[in-house]
Amino acid sequence: MMVGILTGFGVALFGFVWQTSLGGISRKVVARLQKRYGPKWYQEFLDIFKLLSKRATSHGWIFDLGVIMALGGIIATAAFMPVTNDIFAFADFDNFFIYVYLIAVGMLGMAMSASGSGNPLASIGVMRALTTMLAYEVPFMVIVMVIIKHAGTSSLRGIAMAQQDAGMWYMVALPLGFIVAFICLLGMLGKKPFETYIAPAELASGPMVEYGGKQLGMLFIMHEITVFIEVSLFVHLFLGGAENIFVFLLKYFVVYSVANLVSNVNGRFKIDQVVVFFYKWILPLAMIQAFVALYMNGWWN
Amino acid sequence: MESTKFSPITKLSKEEVDRKWWEIGDFFRRNSLWMLMYCTGCCAIELPPAMTSAYDMERLGMGPMATPRQADVLLVTGYLSLKTLRRVIYTYEQMSEPKYIVGFGSCTINGGIYHDSHVVINQLDQYIPVDTYVAGCMPNTEAVMNGFIDLMSLIKNKKADGWKRYKENYEWYKKNQIDSLGEVQVHDEYHQ
Amino acid sequence: MDIFTNVEFIILLTLGFGVIAYLVGRYNKTAGAFATIIGTAITFLAVAYYGLNGELDFTADLFPAFSYGFSNLGIFFAVIVSFIFLMVSFFNPYFVGKYKYPALYSMLFMFSLAGAMGVFFTNDFLDMFFFFEFVVWTSLFLIPLGGSKKAATMYYGFSAAGSFALLFAIFMIQKETGRFNMETAFAHVFTTKQSVVIFFLFMFSGFAKLGAFPLHIWLPKVLGKAPDPISAVFSGGLEKLGAFVAIIGIIRFMPMAITDTAGLFAYLNATAFLSNGMTLLQLIIGLLGAMTIVFGTLMAIRQDDAKKLLAYSSMSNGGYILVAIVLMDSITFSGGLYHIVAHALASTAAFLAIGAVSRQTGTTKMSELGGHIHEMPITYMVYLIAIISMAGIPPMGGFISKWLIFQGVIDKGLIVIGAATFFGSIGSFLYVFRPLAALFLGQQLPQFKDKVKEAPILMLIPLLVLSALNIVTGIFPIQSMRFLNINAVLNELGLQSLVFNGWTIAGHNGGLQATLIAGMFGIGVVIAFVLFMLLKKSKQVGLMDTYTAGNFIYTEELLHYSVDFYAPLERLYEKYINIMKNFYKSLANKVKEFGRVTKYFFFTNKPEITVFWIIVVIAFLLWGDIV
Repeated sequence: MMVGILTGFGVALFGFVWQTSLGGISRKVVARLQKRYGPKWYQEFLDIFKLLSKRATSHGWIFDLGVIMALGGIIATAAFMPVTNDIFAFADFDNFFIYVYLIAVGMLGMAMSASGSGNPLASIGVMRALTTMLAYEVPFMVIVMVIIKHAGTSSLRGIAMAQQDAGMWYMVALPLGFIVAFICLLGMLGKKPFETYIAPAELASGPMVEYGGKQLGMLFIMHEITVFIEVSLFVHLFLGGAENIFVFLLKYFVVYSVANLVSNVNGRFKIDQVVVFFYKWILPLAMIQAFVALYMNGWWN
Repeated sequence: MESTKFSPITKLSKEEVDRKWWEIGDFFRRNSLWMLMYCTGCCAIELPPAMTSAYDMERLGMGPMATPRQADVLLVTGYLSLKTLRRVIYTYEQMSEPKYIVGFGSCTINGGIYHDSHVVINQLDQYIPVDTYVAGCMPNTEAVMNGFIDLMSLIKNKKADGWKRYKENYEWYKKNQIDSLGEVQVHDEYHQ
Repeated sequence: MDIFTNVEFIILLTLGFGVIAYLVGRYNKTAGAFATIIGTAITFLAVAYYGLNGELDFTADLFPAFSYGFSNLGIFFAVIVSFIFLMVSFFNPYFVGKYKYPALYSMLFMFSLAGAMGVFFTNDFLDMFFFFEFVVWTSLFLIPLGGSKKAATMYYGFSAAGSFALLFAIFMIQKETGRFNMETAFAHVFTTKQSVVIFFLFMFSGFAKLGAFPLHIWLPKVLGKAPDPISAVFSGGLEKLGAFVAIIGIIRFMPMAITDTAGLFAYLNATAFLSNGMTLLQLIIGLLGAMTIVFGTLMAIRQDDAKKLLAYSSMSNGGYILVAIVLMDSITFSGGLYHIVAHALASTAAFLAIGAVSRQTGTTKMSELGGHIHEMPITYMVYLIAIISMAGIPPMGGFISKWLIFQGVIDKGLIVIGAATFFGSIGSFLYVFRPLAALFLGQQLPQFKDKVKEAPILMLIPLLVLSALNIVTGIFPIQSMRFLNINAVLNELGLQSLVFNGWTIAGHNGGLQATLIAGMFGIGVVIAFVLFMLLKKSKQVGLMDTYTAGNFIYTEELLHYSVDFYAPLERLYEKYINIMKNFYKSLANKVKEFGRVTKYFFFTNKPEITVFWIIVVIAFLLWGDIV
């Protein structure tokens, strides 16, 4: 048990380091697209450590407690994530639903402390974040329901190994589901066009408006680990997991780069456009995919 | 006879420990400066060229941030009327420490072309502590980049301590502010 | 102490305490309320201690007309409901002074508890109907003490429809089996067409009491306008009567093997309609449950009054319980039972926290409140723990029950019901967050700044106990399930028990170890806390010193975001919210019209119509001779 816990926190630390470096590399890639040089690859680390070294202001105990709860919840979630077939913390306890709900704890903590700062822009940002979450979670969970029913297990490692044993990834077997999940991934990561809840110039960065110094640094760490969890989830569910660490890093890099490039050429939706988009186009696609996969299995044979 | 392997390890005194942390902190702070996107006057037009492809400010680690709580550097770009100065002082006091100010253009140095106007102040340094200036009307984009690099080297040499000066000489700054601006009248229009 | 094992004595004791509370309350209202605390405490301790140990004695000596029998399901429900009544009774002394008839309030409080105990423990269908009506009538007169008569009328209309459906079903059962006894009815195998009708009537009655779609109109009106402790009792205790009736209806009366059928009734047969083994009836009830979840969530998002919001949340959770029960799979069913427990605890805690705030400030509308965390931090923490459980987030109890329900939904491969369940689960984050942000957090409004204090100690006791139980049911679910004998209930109803492997609960496609999740969460928070403490201390600033783009601000009301919190989302479905309400209003109008027609034709003072009827009756009597 102790070995499992330590491995879990090792996975969280690895995820943080890898995602932060990848964030810096992505900034460089985007900068090259725009014909400029871009920052150093370790720029995100410098940002986070600079923030941790400043003296910030605080609006009361709920402001600090929410940030601690958010970061604590996310570290606990990352501890459950399996990295490859052999590096994992807790066998059989990495249920899919744990990730969805423990990320919700993090979000609740952040929302609590953002509203506790007293700024209405923070509350508006939280409202938009929750509405976006309502939009993208339902189609994603419908597709994952299909995958779990098909694989017979809801453990992430089990699903990844089922794909490796069958020799086919769910990306190919459920193509509509892959498209739906990719668009939901864009929503989860908070990238354009679903970046409504941050909206830097419209809402003065939404929930993060009153943070500075160590609270903002801890929130950045939380964001990096959340991105790691979500992209790893996608890799394990649709791309067949990984046999060794290099394959995992390669698949992760490809998914994150494609998401980054897609988001960089899009504008930002309004919040009601986000909800209408997901419920008018994406949820029916997900339902069609579920119906075909569950009930019309093999009708073409 | 005592073995030389067991000589006592000297502990650093508190100032030396603080200085070591400060040096590490300064390394992070000078390589990742975040500026507040607060454009007070005409010199602000020189910021977009510095941010975009030709003179890329992101190479230095600088980037724009939305609110004063998150930003490190306040760029006072251009002339300061009395109305704007009240808000600049309020914004400066909302920033988290350590914080730096860069004065752009001649108007912050000696009033520039508005030096004889009755609503524009002449010397910004009397009201809030400025770390470095970028002279010109308006300064060339290369001068702007040079100014940022000057700020980074000032941080490295620990000379960028405007925020400490503000705290130590607060009464002097406050006296100057009240002399020029008067008390800020809070005036409750909602309930009147 | 042996006399306390007798169920009849417990019920009579509760009724007796009601009378005592009334008599004491005529002299001193607060003392009458204290009598309710003592009465509910004795009832709960007797039922829980003897019931969970299996030592209850069911002989009825004093009133042989009422007979009681042993059933694990009844004991399970009785323990939960009496506990909720006990917790809420601590609030009575502080709220009783506001009502017009304080002694009557205390008496009816105890009487409704007695009626609920009777429903759960009785053995005979007619007695169940008697106690059911008793509960309806006593709680009916508690509602208008909060000030609204229309709420009481609406409650009576829907409950009466439910009760009469139940009576009709009971008489049909008597016609089938010959007796009113429950055990003979459960042992009988129903094979005629009438069994489908019995099933629908039971479900109708259960829906009316539970507040499920389409009989949900009374729920927000009643819980919004009733006195605050009564809303808590309704949501946590009396709605579970509906769940009890629904469980009996689904498990015992689902028609199996109908033999004399043709056409539609053959289709409603118990053969599998879908490929996963579900029948059409199960699918219909499941879809109604799914629609309850979705409508409850959507209506809760747009409410401004905190009590109405929690009422719609109760409706949505009732839908969850229905979906869990109707899948008839042991894992999902135990999830439904656990959801009854977790929802009762969380919803009562939330209602009581809102009640504590409204006692000090006089209103529950979120657009008029703000920033109360600074004066009432303990109430805030209680509310926070309650909503973490209601939204189904670990490490509280709601997560366990939702996980178990998802297992069944995924295993059967239900797409639409699954989508509705997920929607309800995510949507619940939205509506439970709104009172937190609008009522407790945000700016402190000047009209409440120094006048609001923390709740008094006697009100804090039930809030803290409920929060502790919310946490314990989440961190130690296996121990809680063993304590409440959930496996015994499952076995009694003919389903398999839940499998516990050490510290893990086994589901269809994976295991759940809740203690590990809670433990990891705790360690993660400790790490974050250590990191936080090592860094530089922050400067404390007031709430008004906030980012306003450099402007100077002096009015807190303009900076508090609480009106129309989810406005962009609400605008998307604003046009469709009144459909069911308009349907019931037009139904009421049609009944009025029918009455007018009857009055015109049969109760008139026009001589022409009397002559018409005389001719018609004579023609009818002399038909053979005329034709």
